[in-house]
Amino acid sequence: METIHNLGLGFEAALSAENLLFCLLGVSLGTFVGVLPGIGALATISMCLPLTFYLDPVPGMIMLAGIFYGAQYGSSTASILLNLPGSAPAAITCLDGYPMAQQGRAGVALFLTTIASFVGGSFSIMLMIGFAPVLADFAISFSSADYFSIMVLALVAASTLSNGSFIKGIAMVAAGLVLGLVGTDISSGVPRYTFGIIDISDGISLVAVAMGLFGVAEILNNLMQDEHAVVDARSITFKSLVPTRQDMREFWPAAGRGSVIGAIVGMLPGTGPTIATFMSYSAEKRLSRNPGKFGKGAIEGISSPEAANNSSVQAAFIPTLTLGIPGDAIMAVILGGMLIHGIAPGPQLIANDPVLFWGVIASFWIGNVFLLILNIPLIGIWVRLLTVPYHLLYPGMLFFICIGVYSVNNSTFDVMLTLIFGLIGFGMMRFGFPAAPLLLGFVLGPLIEENFRRALVLSRGNLDVFVSRPVSATFLGLTLLVLLASIPQVRGLFGLIAKGRKGQAVNE
Amino acid sequence: MKKIVAGENGSPSRIRRMLLGAAAIAALVPAMFGGVAGAQAQDYPTKPIRIIVPFGPGGLADITMRLAGEKLSGILGQQFVVENHPGAGGVAAANELLKSDPDGYDLIVMSNGTTIATSLFKNLGYDPQTQFTPISTLAWFDLGVFSNPEGEYKTLEDFISKAKAEPGYLNVATVNPGSSQNLAAEYFRKVAGIDVNIVTYRTSPDILAALIRGEVDVAIESPTAFSGALENNQAKLLAVTGSQRNPTYPDVPTAQEAGVEGYEVVGWNALYTLAGTPDDIIKKLNDAMFEVAGMPEIQKRFMELGTSARALTPDEMAAQFEKDRARWAEVIESAGIEKR
Repeated sequence: METIHNLGLGFEAALSAENLLFCLLGVSLGTFVGVLPGIGALATISMCLPLTFYLDPVPGMIMLAGIFYGAQYGSSTASILLNLPGSAPAAITCLDGYPMAQQGRAGVALFLTTIASFVGGSFSIMLMIGFAPVLADFAISFSSADYFSIMVLALVAASTLSNGSFIKGIAMVAAGLVLGLVGTDISSGVPRYTFGIIDISDGISLVAVAMGLFGVAEILNNLMQDEHAVVDARSITFKSLVPTRQDMREFWPAAGRGSVIGAIVGMLPGTGPTIATFMSYSAEKRLSRNPGKFGKGAIEGISSPEAANNSSVQAAFIPTLTLGIPGDAIMAVILGGMLIHGIAPGPQLIANDPVLFWGVIASFWIGNVFLLILNIPLIGIWVRLLTVPYHLLYPGMLFFICIGVYSVNNSTFDVMLTLIFGLIGFGMMRFGFPAAPLLLGFVLGPLIEENFRRALVLSRGNLDVFVSRPVSATFLGLTLLVLLASIPQVRGLFGLIAKGRKGQAVNE
Repeated sequence: MKKIVAGENGSPSRIRRMLLGAAAIAALVPAMFGGVAGAQAQDYPTKPIRIIVPFGPGGLADITMRLAGEKLSGILGQQFVVENHPGAGGVAAANELLKSDPDGYDLIVMSNGTTIATSLFKNLGYDPQTQFTPISTLAWFDLGVFSNPEGEYKTLEDFISKAKAEPGYLNVATVNPGSSQNLAAEYFRKVAGIDVNIVTYRTSPDILAALIRGEVDVAIESPTAFSGALENNQAKLLAVTGSQRNPTYPDVPTAQEAGVEGYEVVGWNALYTLAGTPDDIIKKLNDAMFEVAGMPEIQKRFMELGTSARALTPDEMAAQFEKDRARWAEVIESAGIEKR
């Protein structure tokens, strides 16, 4: 009852003209920067932070948050249309989104990713409304050992990310892990593999790796092709946006699974949406009866990661708002924006200033509705991007990638690094080495090492800690299951059991 | 869209004209600004001034500098623009400043972390004491020793006596190795004469989470970073590291009062610029900093953030830097921390 009362208070605040305006402003800006490859939410929010000094805390917060989740809506657009991810988490959407566009189903893909974003976002918002404090306590109860085991599961699942050679996939995971080692070691403070280059002493920038391997490499690859498919703008009718009944049948369960995975990963501080989208993609591929269709335009391959992306971003607000513990750099900036106004998010905030807490949460949902209304008509416009000749479109995209990478750390070195990774990625493409496992290895490697070592420091070197903690043991068990399931004989056995069950169910 | 397609139909002259235009603008821009840079110091400032912050947005140095920058803009009549160049322990920001001219239009934030870095790195790549010149301090802060409010440590003495009773068993959390907090913990271990593990985490929120779930016994972090946690009763401040009590938390003893004889750590953020900047420009900026630090509004906001605003003259600033540098060099030496 109290929740409903509070939520009413929240909507009352969020529906004021000023707050609605800043919400709309935030989500529109977010969508825009999300679509542009490389220019991401972090840079935009950092640039807008000083603006919020002149605003009241509630509209300021609503706007910054709107940029963050708005950017997730836009980020899959370029992945689908051009095979250029708008941000690192959206790199996985390239795998099935771009083949769909090549099959002339770009409109359907954009429509479904928009709906998936809405489903994912709404799921986590509902979780937040119902259980925020409980979930936040649960999320921070995860210790280093638990993190280690979750990351191991994600890494093992990564082996299925790509089609084609298994050996090449594993080699790329390993390459990603090695790249992740570069930088200052968090446990000892010793710089590793930096070769005296100070620009990489904090590690190689994730944005540089993602934009190089996926964005620049794709642009180079296109330069190699003489023939380009020309899309006729007149062929894009409203009807071509409408998914088939079969599409929708595949969409809903995938979006549901993606929402759940995204919410779990998102509320854990220190993980982030890239891990959420990659995990949900590998989960879909594992669970599918027909894993062969992934990479060729599978509906599940775009729906689940998109739902996971938005779900994780909304869930990241759970520990930030209820405990004042931000999960990633973007959340830390938003929290900093509140601290400037003398507001300290935490249990006291919910009790003392319910209008702010619930107002912001209500605005999330309003923002998601805005995004839905904003994005569906935009699809027709985005799809027309495909009619722009390549020799004009791709230099433009390269330009945005460079600006985007530069804006993260104001570093020209990162721009050069992106171009180098572009060349490497181009070589990988030519020789059939998949980039997605490398990216996941790169993201997970440092997290696995950091948490493994910290867990052992805390347990005084006792390895039991990984199996004696229930969360850690569960995830290690799941990892073992995934490993077993990839052995064909065992897979066959699982299949038989499943068949037997089904037969039984029919008999009853 | 139509226009672009028209260009495709072969009018290279159009593209060339555009390129020429761009080149002309590119040639003009430095000429315009270059002219200003050479102007008289009494006119200073005649264009926006850049403050390079070696940290990401949203942190204490960033927030306090932005608050001050706004006031400086009001006093000197030009916009003070904060630019974040995080990473590489401040080296990225220093390199950014080294690229500019000593004309007072590019300033940098130095912190006590810089005094550590000069001793910690074999080759820092720049020398803050000769290549840069001080303007003034802005914010001063101490560190705090925090425990879980529901845990067994109600005072610093509780923690120290348990640490002495069970050597090598207790955990102290800090951020990254080589940070002020981390070295303050090393120094604490030495001065208090206790054997505890120092566990490093990536960010201060990570530390707060570790403290809440009871993974570590105490944490050393700035009261500013934990101000929300204190307000929300997620952490208990056992002692502060300054020589005097923190005015925001007047009931909390200093470490010295709590029995750690001779232990004192104070941090600061200061404004520096390139060496060789004309003295009257430095003077102008220093005067403005004194004015800002004295503003009741700034005093109040800083206090809410758990820090205090105080300016120093350039000479005092240089002396403070040298004093801290010498002390941290000794801590690094005696703690046996390997130089990088």
